[in-house]
Amino acid sequence: MVSDLHYWSRLKNNRAGLAGLIIVVSFFLLAVGVWAGLLGQGWSAAGGERWAPPGAEAWFGTNLLGQDIFQRSVFSVRTAFEIGLIVSILSTALGAALGAIAGWYGKSWVDGTVLWLAGVLDSIPFYLFVAAVAFALQGKPWAMQIAMIATFWTATGRLVRAEVMKLKTREFVLSARAIGLPDLLILSRHVLPNTLHILLIQISITFVAAIKTEVILSFLGLGVQDGVSWGLMLAESTQEVLAGHFNNFLAASIMLFALLMGFNLFSDALQDAFDPKQAAL
Amino acid sequence: MHYALNKLAYGGLLILGVTLVSFSLMVWFGPDQTYTLIGKNASAEQIAEVRQQLGYDQPFAMRYGRFLVDLVTLNLGASNSSGEQVYSILKKTIPVTLALMIPGFILGNLLGIALGLLATYKKDQWIDRLITGLSVTGMSISFLVVIIFLQVLMCTPYGLNLFPVRGWQVTDLASYLHYVTVPTLSLVIIALGYNTRFYRAVFVEEAGKDHIRTAKAYGASPVTILWRHVLKNSMVPIITRFMFSIPLIVISGSLLIESYFGIPGIGKVTFDAITSGDQPVLKAIVGLTAVAFILIQIATDFIYKLVDPRIA
Amino acid sequence: MSQPALAVSNLSVRIARQNGLPAVVDGISFELAKGEVLALVGESGCGKTKSAEAIMGLLPADHWHVSADLMVLNGAGLDGVSASALRKLRGSEISMIFQDPLTALDPVFSCGYQLRSVFIRHRGMNRRAARDASLVMLGQVGFAEPERVFNSYPHQLSGGMRQRVMIAMAMACRPSVLIADEPTTALDVTTQAQVLAQLTQLAREYGTSILLITHDLGVVAQYADRAMVMLNGKIVEEAGVQDLFARPQHDCTRNLLSCTAKADA
Repeated sequence: MVSDLHYWSRLKNNRAGLAGLIIVVSFFLLAVGVWAGLLGQGWSAAGGERWAPPGAEAWFGTNLLGQDIFQRSVFSVRTAFEIGLIVSILSTALGAALGAIAGWYGKSWVDGTVLWLAGVLDSIPFYLFVAAVAFALQGKPWAMQIAMIATFWTATGRLVRAEVMKLKTREFVLSARAIGLPDLLILSRHVLPNTLHILLIQISITFVAAIKTEVILSFLGLGVQDGVSWGLMLAESTQEVLAGHFNNFLAASIMLFALLMGFNLFSDALQDAFDPKQAAL
Repeated sequence: MHYALNKLAYGGLLILGVTLVSFSLMVWFGPDQTYTLIGKNASAEQIAEVRQQLGYDQPFAMRYGRFLVDLVTLNLGASNSSGEQVYSILKKTIPVTLALMIPGFILGNLLGIALGLLATYKKDQWIDRLITGLSVTGMSISFLVVIIFLQVLMCTPYGLNLFPVRGWQVTDLASYLHYVTVPTLSLVIIALGYNTRFYRAVFVEEAGKDHIRTAKAYGASPVTILWRHVLKNSMVPIITRFMFSIPLIVISGSLLIESYFGIPGIGKVTFDAITSGDQPVLKAIVGLTAVAFILIQIATDFIYKLVDPRIA
Repeated sequence: MSQPALAVSNLSVRIARQNGLPAVVDGISFELAKGEVLALVGESGCGKTKSAEAIMGLLPADHWHVSADLMVLNGAGLDGVSASALRKLRGSEISMIFQDPLTALDPVFSCGYQLRSVFIRHRGMNRRAARDASLVMLGQVGFAEPERVFNSYPHQLSGGMRQRVMIAMAMACRPSVLIADEPTTALDVTTQAQVLAQLTQLAREYGTSILLITHDLGVVAQYADRAMVMLNGKIVEEAGVQDLFARPQHDCTRNLLSCTAKADA
């Protein structure tokens, strides 16, 4: 559509957003490197010197167990992307589906049920919900991701619902219905594609939320169970810093900050580009 | 009247939903507590007795019903870990959490509003860019990082060593300030980024409206415009955000801060209950939160009427 | 001849930092005589409102570039004047009323509060005096129950009533110039007539000159003395109303006239 060109050019002009995108892509390449077995493979090797300062062997030094902090930081990039991508894509998809259905059948019992469900999930304190899910799964690994997906979809759901309610009255939808096309077809092929800008923004916002949440969950012991993540590194570092060893803390927090900052800058740029109010001066 | 009843019914449905979800997850699918209570070498009769006590032999609906009744009558039972009455635990710890979280919460919002107003006033100038940049930075820092950093900076010999690392021995104003400062500081730093960004967006949108142009056309100064016309018209979104972030901040935020700083509030109780699987406590907290949420919604609707004449 | 109430020469408005784009307002000049009703006509988007906003100083400097050889209100220059001096003039010497009174009035303050604040700010009155003056003014614009309107909020009044409140605000300090930007477009036909009649009558009484911005030639015919036609940011024709209707010179004018004729038919 012609209007899309307008959005993309505004996106390209946003320098901060481009910087953010570059940061995110760089981290993504790191994650790919880890997946491919090229980087960060020595993250679990313990037994080195404890709390060694940064040196030739371990670029960021070592932690309590003599593990290489640099390797662990790099491996954590992969963990972050795994969690972030799974949660953000699935929760946005779930939100889009439920939101579209609710918006399409607006003001009916279907809509009411979806809204009630969203209300219930928003009302439950998140950490309690994660704990409850963890109980229910009795130790199986995906409690954290499931809990996140089950609660993060509500924001996307509400946004998509509102947009679908607006789109429902538009001409192209009215004509599609007049021809007699089935609802599901109209929704998936004509309506949802017009919400893509919302979905894109939500994916990037949720990615940030997912990673931040993982950090706290890992600190609480409810997060990543095997493998390593920045959250786990920070949890380890809480004792270490009281004894004056800051490498673990610095490595994890700086890398975490960089990735989050990159995503935030990028999602800001996305929001600005797609915001109709900023179009006309 | 009809409207109020409607709202209450809706709230009731929500509470029902919340309790149902948490009951299902925690109790029905949760681990069998029989063995935790009496160990592995008990006889069949003992096992049967305990199971009956815990209600495992009853159907779902009955157990859920009992759960609801217990909640409503505040028959919250005793903690599995400490044996103390849940009710008295709540009574002790809720005031502590409120005293801990409220100053930071209010300060974080007030500062966010102030910075948002400033950024709107000087929109697109260097102050605005600075404030926006700082708020994005604030949004990119993890809560945990802030807490660890502030603790090291303020409470250890590696930093300023002015405040206590853990604890909450509050007897008077001085000791209160001594213990509340670092947590409050961390709360403000964490929330400020998000708050500023949100409030700035609200104010900028309001400032673009027609009636602001009218105010300018009649000679109102920028300060008057911001303070009188922009702020008052933004009260609905401000109040919405303020009220609806209360459960988030006070409950989830307190969880982390209290467990980190060893402060005996409801957050720490929740944290301990989560890690030890203490179901009576967890059930009580979930129920409490749901009720608090409903009360907040009702209060918010009421406050809306006070600030915006368009709401009948 | 006495000096004009408003004299504008070579006024241009461009979007800041976009030198390639055509100007929104491209070097317009006109004079508004004392007590005159001058209509500014044109299709939407031709630059009428932006001209008015530029004269009033309502266009923020970081988005708009306003330039003029001359902008004089009652002999005193308008551009190059300090912001605070300009604020003193707005609402007292020169005022403006807008197209949609529902969005133009502040929804969270009562009509009386908004009217009263004009008196407080520009006449230095205290609240009691300002309230009394407001009630008088509301009577002047034709309200039978000034008290009730004073205490009402904008959303509680009808469109025509809201516009009359705006007129009260605009005329409160007996300005030399009133710019009326499509004041009746959002109203139905009967109310249009009432509001315009009220406005012009009050203006005659106070000696206020009116710059009447409109796309409705019927309004021009009935209320204006002279008219300017604007197209793409430039003034393409200017004449007394009778001449304009009898002998339109420019295509644009002829188009507007024929549109009106079709609408009437």
